[in-house]
Amino acid sequence: MSLIKKLFGTLAQKPWEKNQVAIDNTHPGRTFNLSNQMSAVIIIFGVSTAIFSLIFTGYLYSLPPEQDTTFILKTYLLWINTLVLIFVTFFFNKISSDLKKNLTNNIKKNLIYVGGLSYLFLFLQLILWYQLMKSGNFVDTNTYFSSFYIFTTLHGIHLLGGLFFWGKVSSRIFNLNEKDYANEEKNINALSLYWLFLFIVWIVFFGIMFIYNDSVIAWCKSLIA
Amino acid sequence: MSEDYNDNKTIQAQSSETISGSGSGVSPDIDYVRPAEIPEQDLYHGHSFITKWVFCQDAKVIGVQYFLLATFTGIIGLILSWLMRLQLGFPELASFMTAEHYYQFVTMHGMIMVVYFLTALFLGGFGNFLIPLMVGARDMVFPYLNMVSFWMFFIAVGVLLASFFVPGGPTGSGWTLYPPQAILEGTPGSGMGIMLMCISLILFVAGFTMGGLNYLITVLQARTRGMTLMRMPLTVWGIFTATVLAMLAFPALLVGALMMSLDNILGTSFFMPTILKAGEVLEYGGGSPILFQHLFWFFGHPEVYIVALPAFGIISDLISVHARKNIFGYRMMVWAIVGIGALSFFVWAHHMYVSGMNPWFGFFFATTTLIIAVPTAMKVYNWILTLWRGNIRLNTVMLWCLGFIVTFVNGGITGIFLGNVTVDVPLSDTYFVIAHFHMVMGIAPLMVIMGAVYHWFPLVAGRFLDEKLGKWHFWLTFLGAYSIYFPMHYLGFIGVPRRYFEMYDSPYMTSAVGMNEFISMAAFIVGAAQFILIYNIIRALKIGKPSGHNPWKACSLEWLTPSVPPEHGNWGERLPVVHRWAYDYSVPGAKEDFITQTTPPSDVANTEVEKT
Repeated sequence: MSLIKKLFGTLAQKPWEKNQVAIDNTHPGRTFNLSNQMSAVIIIFGVSTAIFSLIFTGYLYSLPPEQDTTFILKTYLLWINTLVLIFVTFFFNKISSDLKKNLTNNIKKNLIYVGGLSYLFLFLQLILWYQLMKSGNFVDTNTYFSSFYIFTTLHGIHLLGGLFFWGKVSSRIFNLNEKDYANEEKNINALSLYWLFLFIVWIVFFGIMFIYNDSVIAWCKSLIA
Repeated sequence: MSEDYNDNKTIQAQSSETISGSGSGVSPDIDYVRPAEIPEQDLYHGHSFITKWVFCQDAKVIGVQYFLLATFTGIIGLILSWLMRLQLGFPELASFMTAEHYYQFVTMHGMIMVVYFLTALFLGGFGNFLIPLMVGARDMVFPYLNMVSFWMFFIAVGVLLASFFVPGGPTGSGWTLYPPQAILEGTPGSGMGIMLMCISLILFVAGFTMGGLNYLITVLQARTRGMTLMRMPLTVWGIFTATVLAMLAFPALLVGALMMSLDNILGTSFFMPTILKAGEVLEYGGGSPILFQHLFWFFGHPEVYIVALPAFGIISDLISVHARKNIFGYRMMVWAIVGIGALSFFVWAHHMYVSGMNPWFGFFFATTTLIIAVPTAMKVYNWILTLWRGNIRLNTVMLWCLGFIVTFVNGGITGIFLGNVTVDVPLSDTYFVIAHFHMVMGIAPLMVIMGAVYHWFPLVAGRFLDEKLGKWHFWLTFLGAYSIYFPMHYLGFIGVPRRYFEMYDSPYMTSAVGMNEFISMAAFIVGAAQFILIYNIIRALKIGKPSGHNPWKACSLEWLTPSVPPEHGNWGERLPVVHRWAYDYSVPGAKEDFITQTTPPSDVANTEVEKT
């Protein structure tokens, strides 16, 4: 509510009036109390959300008739991958909160966990693809699997992009004294948010593919009947 | 939104400068400015030709690079349009051209002009050059990323143009690239051509995202002290809002291009239904071509406003400066820009009335389309009311401004025709549509670009462009554009279809031929007239009249840099401090007819600023 009030409050300002001039002259120049890095992650968040939403919409729009849309219910690997992403998000969040509290002992160790688990996630995704292909489900088998592959690829590319910056930040942290870790706080916080975003996208994807498929729809219909 | 962000705890005081008042008997307190709290930006200054002019991190140079490359692609688009007009007007002179060539030229002309010329020029060109200067920043917040953004655009253009030289040539599927035909044999460029187009678009979107990130964060987070959002010039509002639209709309193009590439290369069927070809069932099946249309137009319609909103902002500033009046209804102009931006995401399906959609769906989109005309009309009224009783300087810049208003209103009115389902259906795919969108998003934005070039060239080069040449340029373009597009409305009414290589023995053959010859002649002249600008620029760089500081006596920050042209870092040792909006023209009681944004209140204590 207060956000909407502030938004409309800003747009309602009359910059030419004397009272407003006095207020405006003390303005610091920036709009949000956020670092540039954090602002960048939030904007990337928005753009990527648009990309993933459109892929989901495409999937929902053309949910294929007479195709096996229950694959996701059969494999345990996706559950394990989800668990891995939960751990990554947890460790990144912990790094962020430790930095805030100036607890620097475990930061290096947790950064390694984050990187290791992220690579593990990617490796498990490749195994999943291998399993898929072994069972005869390729990218051109039907639109269900096409959507599955394109989504997991794009999600993986986002994760790789994050890992690139994780590598840069980690190498700096490993070359710093513990007391100087705070210099990297803005980057760490931004990356932590980025990983949270990757997790949210994954959960939404998982939910949609899990819930919106033939067998669940048939089950719902049977309930109504 | 935290525009009133005022958390004193975070202030990292860098200086406690207070600009002292010079007005007599005025308390210096009214000039108070808070200490700077945004740390000074660390800039990389190029030392060699390569780092200064090629891989440069200065947003102004990047803006000029965007401008030059976009203009280069625009000239290619222009030449393609000449070839098309040659075929339509004088087919006997175009015997070298086959129907396939014609479709390829149509496609490449459309895509080049919309994406690689207009979008790149408004956002990449004007955005980079003007945003840091107008908000009082030293540069974009991520200069390196900004440089990469331009070079991604460069590669995207290279890939696009490479499609002219691959087997089969560029795609000829129309600029909308609709599948299935775009990737099926029989359509020109259905192999490498469409693939390169999709790759180029993906690169363009990736590059633009890097640039857009910079524009948004610079506007939101790197403004100078005193520069509130509602003190920003409308140019910045237009570019800012258009960037938001682009960041949300380009993903649709990216997803569409990516999925279609997969359909083409890997044999997926995102957009491909079951298809029979020469009696044989292809391997495709289960996809939806209409899904691509939705994705394309979810990008395509906001794209109109991605071009139009910066144009709206720029024209508002040009009119205000050259009519010596504050912009009429500043707040309403901001609301209209934001409102049009938001509404532009709810109108896309008016491009798909003939796709077989549910009629109720069509009526919904007709309604939203008509609603968007309201804020747009508000802007037109406000431009006219800004001119009303202004001290108008009828120079080249003002001529382009007036030309914009006329062409935009003209194109906008035909848009109201086409926004209605019942009128659109018979006019769909005729020359009426061509006339409409060329007027509203071809000629009208071009008028703004030209006005902006004549206006800001002194800031870029420190010299004026020649007025006489500018007026020739304007009148040839303005009258020529009407000669091209006015008759096209008639062609559309009599049912002449667009995208036809020739008229064959159709019923409109007789009436269309003479008119097509006339239109083609006008197109050749208008195209050639654009080279007057190129000559004018080269001439001005050599012997143009020096402009000095703030030659138009404008209020906004970009004219207030210590040096002209501005150096890297823009502001010398100290960032400017803003004390007012950018439209204090002809203020009663003021010494001159403009008060710059940095003029402290004590200097204008006896004026009636708030009554302007």
